Amino acid sequence: MRIENHPILTFEKGPKVKFIFDGKEMEGFEGEPVAAALHAAGVRVLSHSQIHNRPRGFWCAIGNCSSCNMRIDGVPNVRSCVEPLKEGMTVETQKGKGDLNA
Amino acid sequence: MIKKKAHVVVIGGGILGTSIAYNLAKMGLRDIVLLERQYLNSGATGRCGAGIRQQWGTEMNCILSRESVRLFEHLEEELEYDHSIEFKQKGYLFVIYLEKELEQFKKNIALQNSLDIPSRLITPAEAKEIVPHLNTDRLLGATYCPTDGHANPFHVTQAYAKAAELLGTTIHTYTEVLGIDEEGDRVRGVRTDQGTISCDIVVNAAGGHAALIGNMVGIELPIYPERHQAMVSEPVNIFQNPMVISLYHHLYIQQAPHGPFIMGQGDPNEPKSFNIEPSWQFPLEVAKKVAEILPPLKDLKIVRQWAGLYDMSPDAQPILGESPEVQGFFTSAGFSGHGFMIAPYTSKLMAQAILGEEPEMHIDMLNYDRFASGKLILEPAVV
Repeated sequence: MRIENHPILTFEKGPKVKFIFDGKEMEGFEGEPVAAALHAAGVRVLSHSQIHNRPRGFWCAIGNCSSCNMRIDGVPNVRSCVEPLKEGMTVETQKGKGDLNA
Repeated sequence: MIKKKAHVVVIGGGILGTSIAYNLAKMGLRDIVLLERQYLNSGATGRCGAGIRQQWGTEMNCILSRESVRLFEHLEEELEYDHSIEFKQKGYLFVIYLEKELEQFKKNIALQNSLDIPSRLITPAEAKEIVPHLNTDRLLGATYCPTDGHANPFHVTQAYAKAAELLGTTIHTYTEVLGIDEEGDRVRGVRTDQGTISCDIVVNAAGGHAALIGNMVGIELPIYPERHQAMVSEPVNIFQNPMVISLYHHLYIQQAPHGPFIMGQGDPNEPKSFNIEPSWQFPLEVAKKVAEILPPLKDLKIVRQWAGLYDMSPDAQPILGESPEVQGFFTSAGFSGHGFMIAPYTSKLMAQAILGEEPEMHIDMLNYDRFASGKLILEPAVV
């Protein structure tokens, strides 16, 4: 399933682009939220809870809950549900709270 | 229902009020009431930068902070607190940019070392070993004290309050002091919006509001409120051990034990006022300076911003002790932004003074009559 009409956010669905998720090449549409592209590609686990390391997925989808925080182009704690997808992005599952310096 | 009678009424539910109540109770006093206008920690303590340092420029501030660190080291055990107070000793790194600052820091280090505080002057290269992401451009040097650090002000106040209550102290929150009754030259009671409490001793630990409490017994305490702002980031994995502090930038930045960065800035042009509204300029100004001094922090996201009041005194040292004019009226305020870190020992000395016992250390020179006699020793190391 792909988010086409978001009830709150508006975004321009651009041309098909490639990006890297945890080392694997994936496809999505430029401008759609990164998490939307991952969801459409069947990725359900976006992060892990900080104390018990339980899987966390798409939840509020509007940039509030931090359930979808990921490392994108080297920056930790990016809210992938509101981050527009770009050609060639590197998206990684974040370990723990994220390393600012790594 | 509010208590009608007490031996001591403490005004203020911050770190000073709760720790003084605890120390009085520990020394055997069972008849203590603590009054707080809002909730515990609602004032300066709950809004402070949570740092603990011994690198000061006056003998009194050095001793009060050194002894407080010794108490912080065992505070959870002493207060039998069920949680962690999040005390850490990973140091304070003062970064120095000006020649005249360097001269002052050399004097401060000599004073601190003479008082057994293990601080030292280091080179920019040594500073970079301690904080690898520090930008050392234009840096002349730094001072470092490894036993400085951090504790969580909410937990520390809560720990003191609970310990005081276990020893019989009554705490009334949401109770505002309206006036203080006197009989001759003695205090006799405290009037609140919940009723009057008759008492023999009043302790003014009202922080930025201390001068208003002083006015209630007709004395002029030279303490005024001054807004200071702070903000905090999302948590990230620990990578900065010490507090980094720059007097030149009026700025401090530390990473709390669970990962967020707490940062604050003093504004030399801040007017005297009770204003605690955060400003929109603050995050912009701080972010710019932080990105310059500690470049990787530019990618941090800020999650919260707030302001609180410093209770400023003319020499940036607290005003402690009994009023010469009004018997039974004690003040413990004017901490000028470092009340949290020196509270454990200061409150102990205050309790000894209140109960008329021989104090471990004389605090007479911090009584407020120092301002009339002109015996000021100005603290130079304040953000």
